[in-house]
Amino acid sequence: MHDSDGGMWKDYLSGYIKNNRSSGLSVKLAAFISALLLSLLLGLFYNAWKYEVERIELEEGAWQGQIVGELALADIETIKNFANVKDVVISEKERGETTADIYFEDYEKVLSDMPRIAEQIGVSPEKVVINYPLLAMYLIRSEGDSAPRLLFPMFILITVLASFSLIVIIHNSFAVSMNARIHQFGIFSSVGATPKQIRTCLLQEAAALCTGPVLLGNLIGIAGSMGLTQLINMLGNDVSGRHKAVFGYHPLVLALTLFITMVTIWISAWLPAEKLSRLTPLEAIRNTGELQLKRRKNSYLLTLLFGVEGELAGNALKAQRKALRTASLSLIFSFMAYTIMQCFFATSEISTRETYFERYQDAWDIMVTVKDVQVDNFDKGKEIQSLAGVESAVVYQKAMAGRIISEKEISEEMKALGGFSHASEKYVTKVDDGWLVNAPIIILDDNSFSDYCEQIGITPRFDGAIVRNLIRDVTNPDFRHLKFMPYIKTCNAGEQDVSVLFKKDDQALPNTKEQSINEKVSARIPVLSYTQEVPVLREEYATLDYYELVHFIPVSLWKEIKEQIGGMEEDMYIRVLGEENVTLEELNALQDQISQIMGETYTLDVENRIQEYRDNKKQIQGMKMIFGGFCMLLAVIGIGNVFSNTLGFVQQRKREFARYMSVGLTPKGIRKMFCVEALAIALRPVLITLPLAVIIVGYMLKMSYLGVEEFMAEAPFAPIAVFMLSILGFIALAYYFAWRNVRRISLAQVLRDDTMM
Amino acid sequence: MELLKCEELRKVYGAGSNQVVAIDGIDLKVNRGEFVAIIGASGSGKSTLLHILGSVDKPTSGKVVIDGTDLSKLNQTQAAIFRRRKVGLVYQFYNLIPTLTVRKNILMPLALDKKKPNQEYFEKIVTSLGIADRLEALPNQLSGGQQQRVAIARSLIYRPALLLADEPTGNLDQKNSGEIIDMLKLSNRNLEQTILLITHDEKVALEAERIITIEDGRIISDERREVKSLSQNA
Repeated sequence: MHDSDGGMWKDYLSGYIKNNRSSGLSVKLAAFISALLLSLLLGLFYNAWKYEVERIELEEGAWQGQIVGELALADIETIKNFANVKDVVISEKERGETTADIYFEDYEKVLSDMPRIAEQIGVSPEKVVINYPLLAMYLIRSEGDSAPRLLFPMFILITVLASFSLIVIIHNSFAVSMNARIHQFGIFSSVGATPKQIRTCLLQEAAALCTGPVLLGNLIGIAGSMGLTQLINMLGNDVSGRHKAVFGYHPLVLALTLFITMVTIWISAWLPAEKLSRLTPLEAIRNTGELQLKRRKNSYLLTLLFGVEGELAGNALKAQRKALRTASLSLIFSFMAYTIMQCFFATSEISTRETYFERYQDAWDIMVTVKDVQVDNFDKGKEIQSLAGVESAVVYQKAMAGRIISEKEISEEMKALGGFSHASEKYVTKVDDGWLVNAPIIILDDNSFSDYCEQIGITPRFDGAIVRNLIRDVTNPDFRHLKFMPYIKTCNAGEQDVSVLFKKDDQALPNTKEQSINEKVSARIPVLSYTQEVPVLREEYATLDYYELVHFIPVSLWKEIKEQIGGMEEDMYIRVLGEENVTLEELNALQDQISQIMGETYTLDVENRIQEYRDNKKQIQGMKMIFGGFCMLLAVIGIGNVFSNTLGFVQQRKREFARYMSVGLTPKGIRKMFCVEALAIALRPVLITLPLAVIIVGYMLKMSYLGVEEFMAEAPFAPIAVFMLSILGFIALAYYFAWRNVRRISLAQVLRDDTMM
Repeated sequence: MELLKCEELRKVYGAGSNQVVAIDGIDLKVNRGEFVAIIGASGSGKSTLLHILGSVDKPTSGKVVIDGTDLSKLNQTQAAIFRRRKVGLVYQFYNLIPTLTVRKNILMPLALDKKKPNQEYFEKIVTSLGIADRLEALPNQLSGGQQQRVAIARSLIYRPALLLADEPTGNLDQKNSGEIIDMLKLSNRNLEQTILLITHDEKVALEAERIITIEDGRIISDERREVKSLSQNA
């Protein structure tokens, strides 16, 4: 650019930026927030991608291609000498087969090179394995890979959406700053500045204002993504099988972030710049920058509440509606999202606590899941039961059988509610003799079974079953306030002291008697008692299938009938109950002792009640922090927009204020007007959110069968109020700054000076 | 020699019952070096005519040719360049950029064309307009009369074919008004600058050698007359 031209624009821009720091501030803030969000997003995406690559490398292997077969040394040499091959790792498999893990220099050629390698060493193409999940992470896809691999498209979609939303939100800041000077650009235009020159000038101004904030926003975004990665590590620490995420950053990510941020900001600045440059000089020069109402609109409520100042404030807000759209939208969304999130977590916390932690508080302290073990072969039960600090330990396993309930067996109470008429065919099958229902078998170790017999007041015996004789009122869906009734009649004890259990046939079709059970394979077992009391276990019965008839049997009996019934699950459980008021430290010590007893022969998954409660709480808090953080960022954008508007509107509205003052509105009156405006902006999100929140919470309570009082006792009023008051506080501050500037307006000067915009 | 020619010029604002005819079939010719005053009451259409001649507004119909350029055929960019090079505009309210110095304001049309000023010509203009010692000041540090002189200097810096002045003295006291008119006459005489001056003040109009009267968007009289010399004005 020529000196004189560049010099003039440069002088103009630097003069404007220097004299209008406040309107520049909003543009800077918008740029900063955009850069921060995009940098945070892309930083997190890069780390999610990196984590996924690491996970695939750990689980599948870091190789890109693999050949399994009988490979001679010469073959391996051939592979090693292949042009694109970086390394080959050989491992022996069973039956003399060799596995060659092949690592390539250039991933893009893997798909074409692997068949060539196979051909060269004379191996059939079926022996070639490609690490598709890994290659897909580098955007290398093959037609042979039919998996959707949605990670990358999802990243791209979210980035585009984020960028688009930012454009919608921040272009207003640029528009406010630019529109305040329409008159000046009209002057430029009237002396011959072309639309392109005006656009260029505005875009240069945007660049000058945004460079610093963009760099700063990027740096803080990177730090933020690092912090979030740490937070996710902290929250996911206890998730078994999860490897730790190590934060990483790549210069290309920085370049990409900067590029996307610049494009976002450029479009946001270009939209209003283009609009402004297209104005004819006449339109521009006549524009006083004053806010105008297109149609007459009345603010009845504000007039009623605050008098003439309320009406003026209402009109001013309507005239500023476009400029305040960003603020309005982001404040409404942030407050709504925050309120609903808080209510959701409060409801779910109450629900989880009541249905899980409180219900099972006295049922377990440590729960050990032992993989691929049969309870009848397990011999460490007594050792665990005799550990110091163990109040009780139950070793048990579950199996599934079928049982036919005849018409005359059904209890009167159940008959009154329609018997099996409500039962789904998925769980209950009508057969000739009655109804075939599921009969889950809980196999307890003999000691525990003996304790259970004593608990229900019968003499312990190891040759029969105790049957849970309960069924819920299936017509009442309220799972929180269940009503139970006897399932089968127990009066004719002589006839019912035997339960016939059938083997469930896995291959069978479910709906017919002949195919769903194998009647030839059955076990007749004595019923020691029908009871409504179950052993103290962390188990729920008949949750999905309400018609289950649960049998508790000792392991000694299981040994005799297991061949007939089968259907045993793969995992075995040990439920340990510590002494009363046990601490986390004591449970941890107990957990270590149990692990020691079990040795390395077994694959264990150990849970600890107190730890789980704390982890659950920590996870909810973490989620609240992350969601809350996003809500806060959204609110910051809104508040930023209010600041940009109030700091910029002094210039724009000074004639309006001067006119009010000239007809006798006192400074106190203007202050009142500002208070009404601030209040209206801050309360709008609350007024819109509250009814919606009431409806949503009502729905959530209905779905989870929680009472309003239960919710109200723990409703998150405090955080919501703090969030709302912070919004109000910041908006009040923005209007306070504006008020300070308005006070400096010289009435005489504004009314006289019709030109200096 | 003919510099400006309007044929059947019409400008209509609004539509339907709100339609306002601002200019209603004006035919006008102005020769190079003429000093023409257009007078008329408020709302007679004189400012609209000036805006069309300055290519800041477009006629609804009719043709305007200035220095061989048909304004109706120009797009937005071409119109801007035309304004920059061929037309100087002076407004009642100066329209200076408040954040640029007097010098930068004056040189703006040249700067937009990436041209360096002819230093001698620049000195001549600012000296004759009496603002040579205020070149580094900002507009708000000048009086109204001084600001209008800067606006005139800016309109003359490109040596435009036509200088259009819209009530240039409307915001000034009598003394400053006289000085501004003298300066326009000076540039008309010394630089052979064609000037079209719009005013509702008959006294100001009497300084021009040709007075056109507009009423309801039509020319109702067009008279040529002898003018007083500059010294008689002083």
